[in-house]
Order: sequence, then structure tokens, then C-alpha cells
Amino acid sequence: MKQQSRALLASAVLAAGVASAGEADARPVSYPGGWTVMQMNNGDMSSLHVHYSPTVTDSIGFYGESNWDGDWRFAGVQYNRLAKRWNAPASQGNIYLKLGAGQATPFGSRGGGSEAAGFVGFAADWETRRWFTSYEARAYELGFDRTFRQSARVGVAPYLGEAGDLHTWLMVEVENMPDADDKVTVTPLVRLFQGVQLVEIGYRPASEEFLFNWVYRY
Amino acid sequence: MKTKQSMLAAVLVLGFAAAPMMLSAPVASAQASRAATSAETITARVNGMVCDFCAQSVKKVFGKEAGVTDVAVNLKSGTIAVTLAPGATLGDDTIKALVKKSGYALVSIERSRS
Repeated sequence: MKQQSRALLASAVLAAGVASAGEADARPVSYPGGWTVMQMNNGDMSSLHVHYSPTVTDSIGFYGESNWDGDWRFAGVQYNRLAKRWNAPASQGNIYLKLGAGQATPFGSRGGGSEAAGFVGFAADWETRRWFTSYEARAYELGFDRTFRQSARVGVAPYLGEAGDLHTWLMVEVENMPDADDKVTVTPLVRLFQGVQLVEIGYRPASEEFLFNWVYRY
Repeated sequence: MKTKQSMLAAVLVLGFAAAPMMLSAPVASAQASRAATSAETITARVNGMVCDFCAQSVKKVFGKEAGVTDVAVNLKSGTIAVTLAPGATLGDDTIKALVKKSGYALVSIERSRS
């Protein structure tokens, strides 16, 4: 059943033409009037977040997630707030707050129908052109269950590119999901970033699972 | 006699004072003419601009302004070069507001004409 669900989602993702699941992802707020598509996949979940930024500190849009480890899906509205930004001569730091409200549906080993659901999230990052660090935590109220996950990343750019160049980052993501079979996972990944597109490809040796994230901003 | 000398002195003083004003009129006119026909490039130094998404934000926000013909971002120097159409202007307050709207912090502004 789990395999079938995975195959179905993979097909849907490919059919939609958008594919990208770590939580320590790119900034969830864009410039005023900007749209962003963020699609994330790893061994535990896949998600799609499409949001619009009316201001430089706010964004709102659709968030959908299929959680393979917990056997549930969520679909609803997500609001992101840039609570604080530090602009320094060679670095930038951010704190984001996230709120989601929608519906959760169990599947697989879980029984029952859809429930009203929501989540709250906190994210922080700090980066220079050479170094990157981030942290994100998210707590879900699914109606039929509650769950929590957190993740952190560190990254380094092996070379410094200019605006418009292909930027390459080597990163390591550590994710903690207390309710999951694998409570702590470590995923080395490569981030490729150029213009309005960002792609991340990673691999978890312990569970032999891939990570693939994709972000497009327009 | 004394009155005539005083008047002569006054005329001379006024004459010298007026001369630079008369000379400056064509200079100011030429400057205005040059401003109307040459393109101004504004270089804004900002804090916090570290990635391509930052560059994208700046380009989108500045690019929507009337009179802006080109926006170039240099991540290494942390600068935004904004080229304006001949005769177009962007005030310092506007530039500061646009940098803030892009999500960054303005440090300084330099202007040049080509």
C-alpha cells in the first residue's frame, strides 16, 4: 500500500511538472508581487507550497503534504511571516513564523476520515556568500494525531559566484522526527542555485533514500 | 562729486557681482540640457544582499519603476547599479524605499552620468 501511494504521488508530481522535502528550505517570503513554487521530497514526506508575497514580510498560499512515515496527508492554506531580518554588509539573518490551517486525511495503516488540522512553524537562517546555516521546527495538530519535526542545516559554497551565475552549495541536513521510524536522519546534499531556480539533490545512506527539492520564484 | 564716485563704486560692485550670475546662467542651462540627454546611473550600496534570490528581488522591484532601463546587481561589492532613461530621475528617498521594499538596507548612493 505504501509503495502504491508512493508511486501515485511520484506520478502526480511528474505529471504536474513540479518536483521538490526538507524543512530547512529556501526563504518562504519573496519580494512584493512575487510568486514562489517550493516542492520538496524525501523518504518521509513530499510537499508542495505555492505562495504569493503581497509585501516583503508576508506570503500566503497553498500547502500540501503527504507524509509517508505517518500515513497522513494535509492540504490547506499557509501563511509565512518574516518576523525579523538582519542585513549586515556580508551576511543576512532571518526569523520566520509559519501558520497553516486546512484538512488532514489519514491513509494506509490509519483509519478514519478527514479532520480539521493545522500547524505552527518557526524557521531561522543565517548566510553569507560562503556559509549557510538554518533551523526549522514545525508542530502539527492533525485532529487524529499530533506530530512534530525539526531540522537543521549547515552548508558551504566551494566557490563564490556572481548574480546570475550557477551557485553550488554542499550541505548537510539533520532532521529529527520523534514519531518516525528513523528518529534522526542525516542527509548530505548538493544545492544548485541560479537566478530564480534552486534544486537540491541529496541521499540518506542510512535509509538509502533520496532527497529532491525544487524552488522556482517568479 | 562724492555722490558720483559712490555711484560709480556701487555700479562696479554690482557689476562684479552680476558677472558670475550672468556666466552661471548658460552653465546651468547646459547642465540641464545634459541631464535631459544623458543617462544617469545610480550605484546603491546595500547590506544583506548575498544570493541570487536577493538579486532577483532587487531587479524586480527596481525594474518596475518608471524610467529605469537596467538594473545590475553585484553580490561581491553589495551594490545595485540602476541605469535611468535620459531625463529620468530617482530621488534618494525613493531609492531608500525601493531597497527596503526589496528586503535590504541602504548604505550609500553614488550618481554618475554617461
